[in-house]
Amino acid sequence: MKQEIQVKCSKGNLALIRDFVNRWLDEQEVKGVLANQIVLAIDEACSNCMIHHHNCDGRSKIEVGLNYEGETIYVEIKDSGKAFPIDQYKPQAINDIIRKRNKGGMGIYLINQIMDEIEIEQQNDHFIYKFAKHLG
Amino acid sequence: MEIKQEKQNSYISLAPIGDLDANSSLEMDECIQDWLEKGESNFHIDGQELKYISSAGIGVFISHLDEIRARGGKIIFSHLSASVFDVFKLLGLTEIVTIVKEGAEIAPHF
Repeated sequence: MKQEIQVKCSKGNLALIRDFVNRWLDEQEVKGVLANQIVLAIDEACSNCMIHHHNCDGRSKIEVGLNYEGETIYVEIKDSGKAFPIDQYKPQAINDIIRKRNKGGMGIYLINQIMDEIEIEQQNDHFIYKFAKHLG
Repeated sequence: MEIKQEKQNSYISLAPIGDLDANSSLEMDECIQDWLEKGESNFHIDGQELKYISSAGIGVFISHLDEIRARGGKIIFSHLSASVFDVFKLLGLTEIVTIVKEGAEIAPHF
Protein backbone atom coordinates (compact mmCIF):
# COMPACT_ATOMS: atom_id res chain seq x y z
CA MET A 1 0.00 0.00 0.00
CA LYS A 2 1.33 3.42 -0.98
CA GLN A 3 1.83 5.99 1.76
CA GLU A 4 3.37 9.46 1.97
CA ILE A 5 4.54 11.90 4.60
CA GLN A 6 5.52 15.53 4.25
CA VAL A 7 7.73 17.15 6.90
CA LYS A 8 9.41 20.48 7.50
CA CYS A 9 13.20 20.55 7.07
CA SER A 10 14.12 20.48 10.73
CA LYS A 11 16.53 17.74 11.89
CA GLY A 12 14.15 17.07 14.79
CA ASN A 13 11.68 15.75 12.20
CA LEU A 14 14.03 12.93 11.10
CA ALA A 15 12.59 10.85 13.95
CA LEU A 16 9.07 11.48 12.57
CA ILE A 17 10.16 10.14 9.17
CA ARG A 18 11.82 7.09 10.77
CA ASP A 19 8.68 6.33 12.81
CA PHE A 20 6.52 6.63 9.69
CA VAL A 21 8.81 4.32 7.66
CA ASN A 22 9.13 1.82 10.55
CA ARG A 23 5.33 1.62 10.98
CA TRP A 24 4.79 1.17 7.25
CA LEU A 25 7.48 -1.53 6.99
CA ASP A 26 5.95 -3.32 9.97
CA GLU A 27 2.58 -3.34 8.15
CA GLN A 28 4.35 -4.94 5.15
CA GLU A 29 5.92 -7.46 7.59
CA VAL A 30 9.42 -6.22 6.82
CA LYS A 31 11.25 -6.35 10.14
CA GLY A 32 14.60 -6.52 11.93
CA VAL A 33 17.93 -5.65 10.33
CA LEU A 34 16.43 -5.37 6.83
CA ALA A 35 13.80 -2.89 8.01
CA ASN A 36 16.50 -0.88 9.80
CA GLN A 37 18.60 -0.74 6.61
CA ILE A 38 15.67 0.72 4.63
CA VAL A 39 14.93 3.23 7.42
CA LEU A 40 18.64 4.13 7.53
CA ALA A 41 18.92 4.77 3.77
CA ILE A 42 15.84 7.04 3.87
CA ASP A 43 17.11 8.82 7.00
CA GLU A 44 20.49 9.45 5.34
CA ALA A 45 18.88 10.86 2.18
CA CYS A 46 16.46 13.06 4.15
CA SER A 47 19.11 14.41 6.52
CA ASN A 48 21.27 15.17 3.47
CA CYS A 49 18.40 17.15 1.93
CA MET A 50 17.60 18.99 5.17
CA ILE A 51 21.21 19.92 5.99
CA HIS A 52 22.79 20.49 2.57
CA HIS A 53 19.86 21.65 0.43
CA HIS A 54 17.87 23.63 2.97
CA ASN A 55 20.33 24.49 5.75
CA CYS A 56 17.69 23.09 8.15
CA ASP A 57 15.26 25.88 7.25
CA GLY A 58 11.95 24.84 8.83
CA ARG A 59 9.97 26.74 6.15
CA SER A 60 11.06 24.21 3.49
CA LYS A 61 9.48 20.78 3.22
CA ILE A 62 10.42 17.36 1.88
CA GLU A 63 8.10 14.51 1.03
CA VAL A 64 8.72 10.77 1.44
CA GLY A 65 6.59 8.23 -0.43
CA LEU A 66 6.66 4.45 0.06
CA ASN A 67 5.25 1.68 -2.05
CA TYR A 68 5.55 -2.14 -2.08
CA GLU A 69 4.95 -3.99 -5.31
CA GLY A 70 6.05 -7.44 -6.42
CA GLU A 71 8.63 -8.06 -3.67
CA THR A 72 10.21 -4.62 -4.15
CA ILE A 73 10.08 -1.62 -1.83
CA TYR A 74 9.96 1.66 -3.75
CA VAL A 75 10.96 4.93 -2.06
CA GLU A 76 10.52 8.43 -3.44
CA ILE A 77 11.95 11.49 -1.71
CA LYS A 78 10.73 14.72 -3.26
CA ASP A 79 12.62 17.92 -2.57
CA SER A 80 12.91 21.38 -4.07
CA GLY A 81 16.04 22.70 -5.74
CA LYS A 82 18.86 20.84 -7.44
CA ALA A 83 19.65 17.24 -6.58
CA PHE A 84 23.02 16.08 -5.28
CA PRO A 85 24.13 13.27 -7.62
CA ILE A 86 24.12 10.56 -4.96
CA ASP A 87 24.16 7.85 -7.63
CA GLN A 88 27.57 9.06 -8.87
CA TYR A 89 29.16 9.36 -5.45
CA LYS A 90 32.74 8.07 -5.10
CA PRO A 91 33.15 6.76 -1.56
CA GLN A 92 36.16 7.62 0.60
CA ALA A 93 37.98 4.77 2.30
CA ILE A 94 36.91 4.53 5.93
CA ASN A 95 40.56 4.81 7.05
CA ASP A 96 40.84 8.15 5.19
CA ILE A 97 37.74 9.44 6.98
CA ILE A 98 39.30 8.41 10.31
CA ARG A 99 42.68 9.97 9.44
CA LYS A 100 41.07 13.25 8.34
CA ARG A 101 38.92 13.23 11.51
CA ASN A 102 35.79 13.79 9.40
CA LYS A 103 32.31 13.41 10.83
CA GLY A 104 30.60 13.04 7.45
CA GLY A 105 31.13 11.27 4.17
CA MET A 106 29.42 7.98 5.00
CA GLY A 107 25.70 8.64 4.46
CA ILE A 108 25.60 8.43 0.68
CA TYR A 109 27.91 5.41 0.81
CA LEU A 110 25.33 3.69 3.05
CA ILE A 111 22.46 4.53 0.66
CA ASN A 112 24.44 2.97 -2.21
CA GLN A 113 25.27 -0.08 -0.08
CA ILE A 114 21.66 -0.68 0.97
CA MET A 115 19.54 0.17 -2.07
CA ASP A 116 19.47 -1.95 -5.23
CA GLU A 117 18.41 0.87 -7.54
CA ILE A 118 19.03 4.61 -7.21
CA GLU A 119 17.70 7.16 -9.70
CA ILE A 120 17.37 10.92 -9.61
CA GLU A 121 14.60 12.64 -11.53
CA GLN A 122 15.31 16.33 -11.90
CA GLN A 123 12.32 18.51 -12.83
CA ASN A 124 12.04 22.29 -13.12
CA ASP A 125 11.68 23.33 -9.50
CA HIS A 126 12.21 20.05 -7.69
CA PHE A 127 13.83 16.63 -7.86
CA ILE A 128 12.93 13.13 -6.74
CA TYR A 129 15.33 10.56 -5.34
CA LYS A 130 13.95 7.16 -6.37
CA PHE A 131 15.22 4.10 -4.52
CA ALA A 132 14.26 0.45 -4.90
CA LYS A 133 15.05 -2.45 -2.57
CA HIS A 134 14.36 -5.95 -3.85
CA LEU A 135 13.25 -8.33 -1.11
CA GLY A 136 12.72 -11.49 -3.13
CA MET B 1 18.90 12.24 23.80
CA GLU B 2 20.21 11.38 27.23
CA ILE B 3 23.75 10.05 27.74
CA LYS B 4 24.56 8.16 30.94
CA GLN B 5 28.16 8.95 31.88
CA GLU B 6 30.26 7.07 34.40
CA LYS B 7 33.95 7.44 35.27
CA GLN B 8 35.54 4.07 35.91
CA ASN B 9 39.12 3.45 37.09
CA SER B 10 40.65 3.19 33.64
CA TYR B 11 37.97 4.47 31.26
CA ILE B 12 34.86 6.60 30.75
CA SER B 13 31.64 4.72 30.12
CA LEU B 14 29.08 6.51 27.93
CA ALA B 15 25.63 5.02 27.35
CA PRO B 16 23.46 6.91 24.82
CA ILE B 17 19.73 6.38 25.32
CA GLY B 18 17.51 6.37 22.24
CA ASP B 19 18.49 7.41 18.73
CA LEU B 20 21.90 8.77 17.71
CA ASP B 21 21.15 10.59 14.46
CA ALA B 22 21.95 13.85 12.66
CA ASN B 23 19.83 15.67 15.24
CA SER B 24 21.31 14.24 18.43
CA SER B 25 24.92 13.54 17.38
CA LEU B 26 26.10 16.99 18.49
CA GLU B 27 25.32 16.11 22.13
CA MET B 28 27.47 12.99 21.94
CA ASP B 29 30.21 14.94 20.17
CA GLU B 30 30.29 17.59 22.91
CA CYS B 31 30.24 14.89 25.58
CA ILE B 32 33.31 13.10 24.16
CA GLN B 33 35.06 16.43 23.54
CA ASP B 34 34.50 17.47 27.19
CA TRP B 35 36.06 14.23 28.47
CA LEU B 36 38.99 14.57 26.04
CA GLU B 37 39.61 18.09 27.33
CA LYS B 38 39.69 16.68 30.86
CA GLY B 39 42.51 14.39 29.71
CA GLU B 40 40.55 11.14 29.30
CA SER B 41 41.49 8.90 26.38
CA ASN B 42 39.73 5.58 27.01
CA PHE B 43 36.04 5.29 26.23
CA HIS B 44 33.51 2.50 26.56
CA ILE B 45 30.36 3.10 24.49
CA ASP B 46 27.59 1.01 26.01
CA GLY B 47 24.92 0.41 23.35
CA GLN B 48 22.43 -1.33 25.63
CA GLU B 49 19.88 1.49 25.28
CA LEU B 50 20.95 2.72 21.85
CA LYS B 51 17.96 2.05 19.59
CA TYR B 52 19.24 3.50 16.32
CA ILE B 53 22.42 4.94 14.82
CA SER B 54 22.93 6.80 11.52
CA SER B 55 26.16 7.79 9.78
CA ALA B 56 26.07 11.09 11.73
CA GLY B 57 26.10 9.13 14.99
CA ILE B 58 28.93 6.89 13.88
CA GLY B 59 30.74 9.95 12.51
CA VAL B 60 31.03 11.34 16.03
CA PHE B 61 33.06 8.33 17.21
CA ILE B 62 35.07 8.10 13.99
CA SER B 63 36.04 11.78 14.08
CA HIS B 64 37.63 11.38 17.54
CA LEU B 65 39.24 8.01 16.87
CA ASP B 66 42.49 9.33 15.39
CA GLU B 67 43.08 11.72 18.32
CA ILE B 68 42.23 9.03 20.87
CA ARG B 69 44.64 6.57 19.26
CA ALA B 70 47.35 9.27 19.02
CA ARG B 71 47.05 9.64 22.80
CA GLY B 72 47.34 5.89 23.26
CA GLY B 73 43.66 5.52 24.10
CA LYS B 74 40.83 3.34 22.79
CA ILE B 75 37.09 3.30 22.09
CA ILE B 76 35.40 0.00 22.90
CA PHE B 77 31.76 -0.67 21.95
CA SER B 78 29.52 -3.17 23.70
CA HIS B 79 25.89 -4.37 23.81
CA LEU B 80 25.15 -3.28 20.24
CA SER B 81 21.79 -4.46 18.92
CA ALA B 82 21.76 -6.48 15.67
CA SER B 83 20.58 -3.39 13.75
CA VAL B 84 23.21 -1.07 15.21
CA PHE B 85 25.95 -3.69 14.67
CA ASP B 86 24.80 -4.02 11.05
CA VAL B 87 25.46 -0.30 10.42
CA PHE B 88 29.05 -0.74 11.71
CA LYS B 89 29.35 -3.76 9.40
CA LEU B 90 28.00 -1.92 6.34
CA LEU B 91 30.69 0.73 6.88
CA GLY B 92 33.46 -1.81 7.32
CA LEU B 93 34.05 -0.70 10.90
CA THR B 94 33.81 -4.10 12.56
CA GLU B 95 37.43 -4.73 11.48
CA ILE B 96 38.61 -1.29 12.64
CA VAL B 97 37.03 -0.70 16.05
CA THR B 98 36.70 -3.12 18.95
CA ILE B 99 33.18 -4.40 19.56
CA VAL B 100 32.97 -6.52 22.67
CA LYS B 101 30.64 -9.49 22.82
CA GLU B 102 27.75 -9.43 25.29
CA GLY B 103 28.78 -10.56 28.75
CA ALA B 104 32.49 -9.84 28.22
CA GLU B 105 34.30 -7.67 30.75
CA ILE B 106 35.23 -4.17 29.62
CA ALA B 107 38.12 -3.22 31.94
CA PRO B 108 40.65 -5.80 30.58
CA HIS B 109 40.39 -4.11 27.15
CA PHE B 110 41.99 -0.90 28.47
